[in-house]
Amino acid sequence: MPMYQVKPVFGDDIKTDLPTCMYKLPNIHAQRSASGCSEHALQNGTEVDPAFRDLEVRQDKIMRRLYELKAAVDGLAKTVTTPDADLDQTVTSLSQSPTATSFRGTADLDSLLGKDLGALRDIVINANPARPPLTLLVLHAMLCQRYRVLSSVHVHSSVSGVPAQLLACLGPRHADSYVRQRFQLGFTLIWKDVSKLQMKFSIQNMCPIEGEANVARFLFRLVAPYPSDPALATLVDSWVDTAFFQLAEGSAKERSAVLRALNGALGRDPWLAGPELSLADIACYCCVLQTGPAASCPANVQRWLKACENLGHFGPANPLLQ
Amino acid sequence: MARDSLPYVWVESDSAKWVAHCHRGACNVKHASVTQGKVEFICHKTENGATSTQVFLKGTLFFPCEPDRGLVRVHELTPEKAGQLIWVRARIHTSRAKGKQCFLVLRQQQFNVQALVAVGERASKQMVKFAANINKESIVDVEAVVKKVEQTIESCSQQDVELHIERIFVVSQAEPRLPLQLEDCVRPEGEGDEVRMRARALGPRTTTSQAIFRLQSGVCQLFRDTLTNKGFVEIQTPKIISAASEGGANVFTVSYFKTSAYLAQSPQLYKQMCICADFDKVFCVGPVFRAEDSNTHRHLTEFVGLDIELAFNYHYHEVIESITDTMVQIFKGLRDKFQTEIQTVGKQYPSEPFKFLEPTLRLEYSEGVAMLREAGVEMGDEEDLSTPNEKLLGRLVKEKYDTDFYVLDKYPLAVRPFYTMPDPNDKKYSNSYDMFMRGEEILSGAQRIHDAQLLTERAMHHNIDLEKIKSYIDSFRYGAPPHGGGGIGLERVCMLYLGLHNVRQTSMFPRDPKRLTP
Repeated sequence: MPMYQVKPVFGDDIKTDLPTCMYKLPNIHAQRSASGCSEHALQNGTEVDPAFRDLEVRQDKIMRRLYELKAAVDGLAKTVTTPDADLDQTVTSLSQSPTATSFRGTADLDSLLGKDLGALRDIVINANPARPPLTLLVLHAMLCQRYRVLSSVHVHSSVSGVPAQLLACLGPRHADSYVRQRFQLGFTLIWKDVSKLQMKFSIQNMCPIEGEANVARFLFRLVAPYPSDPALATLVDSWVDTAFFQLAEGSAKERSAVLRALNGALGRDPWLAGPELSLADIACYCCVLQTGPAASCPANVQRWLKACENLGHFGPANPLLQ
Repeated sequence: MARDSLPYVWVESDSAKWVAHCHRGACNVKHASVTQGKVEFICHKTENGATSTQVFLKGTLFFPCEPDRGLVRVHELTPEKAGQLIWVRARIHTSRAKGKQCFLVLRQQQFNVQALVAVGERASKQMVKFAANINKESIVDVEAVVKKVEQTIESCSQQDVELHIERIFVVSQAEPRLPLQLEDCVRPEGEGDEVRMRARALGPRTTTSQAIFRLQSGVCQLFRDTLTNKGFVEIQTPKIISAASEGGANVFTVSYFKTSAYLAQSPQLYKQMCICADFDKVFCVGPVFRAEDSNTHRHLTEFVGLDIELAFNYHYHEVIESITDTMVQIFKGLRDKFQTEIQTVGKQYPSEPFKFLEPTLRLEYSEGVAMLREAGVEMGDEEDLSTPNEKLLGRLVKEKYDTDFYVLDKYPLAVRPFYTMPDPNDKKYSNSYDMFMRGEEILSGAQRIHDAQLLTERAMHHNIDLEKIKSYIDSFRYGAPPHGGGGIGLERVCMLYLGLHNVRQTSMFPRDPKRLTP
C-alpha cells in the first residue's frame, strides 16, 4: 500500500573501523555456492529469511550423509559374503567421486607400452562372432575405469551380419569420440571370420598375438601388474590355461575334471590365486559360465561365482551369456 | 543338290506354324511341319525311291510374329540340360578344324562354351568345312544337343557341358581380318593395351571387359539407390560455366558465342547453392573435366564424378558417416550381387578381394603422420601426404586393421582449398577428410565455410581475386546451413575395387592428354 516516504536520515556510506582484536566469523547470512541452496532461498523471486536458508542447507547435508551411510551399510552387507573386497564396487561409484588411484596417468602407459609418437595407442582385436571373447570384454571394462579408452566395434567384410548385442558389447559411444586425440588408449574390436582370436598393437615392433588367453594376459598387465611372487604368477597362468584349453575347448570329461579341481581349490581359499581377484578368476569365471549354467556347478564354485558377480566387474559379460 | 528339289517354305494362312512344302513338280503335299522351333526332317521321295534328305537352309530364317524357337543363353547351359536339343545364338570365338571334326568356342558376353561339329549322321563333310570357314566374331545361330563331359573344359566358362551341333547358320558375318585378336586381349600382359584402346568396338567384347563394365554399372546403380533411400535428391548441374571454380590452371576453355566459357572441374559451386536452397541432401552424377597434363595410371581428363553434398545438424562427422555408409553399402552390394563379375575379372587380373570394415575406420591425420614416422618416414606435422606416403600408409593400415578402405580426418588447413572450414579447436587443422581405397585417394571432402565473411577472409588469405568468386560468396549471405560433402570418380573406384592398375581399363572411352578418340 502506498505510504509516505521519509527521506533517509542516516546516510549509509559511513565507513566503520572494525576492531582488529576480535576474530572474524564467516557471514552466516551470505549466499552459499551450493546450487540447491540458492534455488530454495529464492522462492517467489524474493529474498527469504536467512535462518530459513540456513535450515535448508543443514537438511541437505543431513540427507546426503544419510544416503552415504545407507550405501556403506549395503556395501558392508555384500562384503560379508564377498571375501577380501575392500568396498563393493557397484556402490562406490554412486556415492563418491573416483578416488585418486583409480585413474592412472599416461606415464604408466608409457612405461608399459612404450613412448607414444602422437598416434592413439590402438589395440586391435579380431574376433570371430561365433565365439565372443567374454574375458576381453570384462578386461575392457576394467581398462575403462583406469584410463580414458576410445572403444569401437567394427564388422569386417568377411562376415555378413552380426547380432545387435555383439555390436553394442563395448558399451555406448563416448561423448568425446569425435576427437581421438583426447584418449589415452584405443580398443578396436573387429568381428571377422578368423579361426583364432588375434590382437595387433604395434605393427613395427610386435607380431600379432593369438589366442584369447594370451591377449587376456596382455590386457591384464595394463590394468594391474602380475603378482611378483613367481610361484603365484605361475599359478595364475596355469589356471588361465586350464580355463581356455580344458574348460572352454575340452570334452565333457575334461570339463567336469576342471570343475572338481576348481571346487577343491576354492574350498581352501576364497580366490583361485592369492588373496585378491586375479586374471585366473576372471578367465575361469567366463569359461565356467560359457560351458553351463551356474546351478550345475559344485557348491564352492557357486559361492565363488556369486562373489565374483558381487564385485561388479562382470557386467559386460552377462548379456552375452544368455 | 538339284534346284527343284529344294523345299519352299512359307507360312500357311491362319496358322502360326511353319509348314514346308515341296516345290518339286506336281508334288504339292505338305512334307513336314515345324513345331516348337524344331524343323523336322523333310522327306521326299526321289525318283529312285531314296528316302530322307537333310536340308540346310542358308541365310536367315524369318519367323512370324512370335518365334517358335527359344534361344538358350550360354550361361544356362548346365548338365541339367544334357540330352536336350536347343538353339543358341552366340559369336564364334575360335574355331579349329581337324579332319572330320571342327571344334568351335561360342562366346556370349562373359560366357563361352565348347561346340563340336563332327561328320556323321547329322553333318556332312561340307558342313564341317562350312563351319570351319566361318569368320571369327561372326554371330551364328546353332541348333545342338547338350552333352555332359567327363573331363572339365578349363578354357570355357561352361566347364562341364559341350554342344554337339546339328545345324548352324550365320546371322551376321564379320570381316575376315580383325584389327586385333581377342585372345590377345584376355592375356594379362600390358602390350595389348594400346591396340585395345584403338579398336574400342572390339575390346569391350572380351569377357573381362564385359565383367568390368557391368560392375561399373552396378556401382552407379548402388550409389543412386543407397542415396535415394537416405532421402537424397538427385540434381543436374551445368558443365559450361563462366568462371573456373577451383583455380584457373586446370580448366578447358570453350568458345561461347562471342566470349569464352569453361568446362566444369567439379559441381562444387552448384551443389552448395542447392544446399542453400534448402534441398538438404543432394547428389549428382555427371562428367567432370580436369585439364591436368598428368599422364599417370590414375588420371583422366574427363571422368564420371559421383558427388554428394549435405547439410548437417551438429557436427561435420555426420557428413563423414553418411558418405562412408554409402560407400560401404556399395561395397556390400558388389560383394553380394556381382561375385561372378569379380571372379571373371580375377581370372585375367588376379588380385586380393576388397576388404572393408563397418562402420568405416576413421583415423586422424596426426595419427597417420605418427604411423608414418614410426615406419621411418620423415615429414612435418602440416605437410601434405605425397603419393608414395599415401600408399605406405595404406599398407600400414591394411596390416593393422585389415581394411582397404578408411578415412583420414582433420587434414592441416594449409594444404586444403580456401573454402574449407578450419578446425575450431586447433587452427592448424581443418574439418576436412580424404578417403582411401587400397592406399590411393578416392575422395577429398570437407566441411565448407557457410559464413560469407569468414569465406572472404580465407579467400583473401589465399590471395584469390574476390571479384572472380563474388557470386559464390554471395550465395552464403542469405542464411546458409552448415554443410559438407565430397566427390568420387566412378572409374577410379572401380579400378581400385577390382585391384586393376590402370584407370583406362575401367573407362569405356578414356580421355587423357594424349587420347581424344574414339
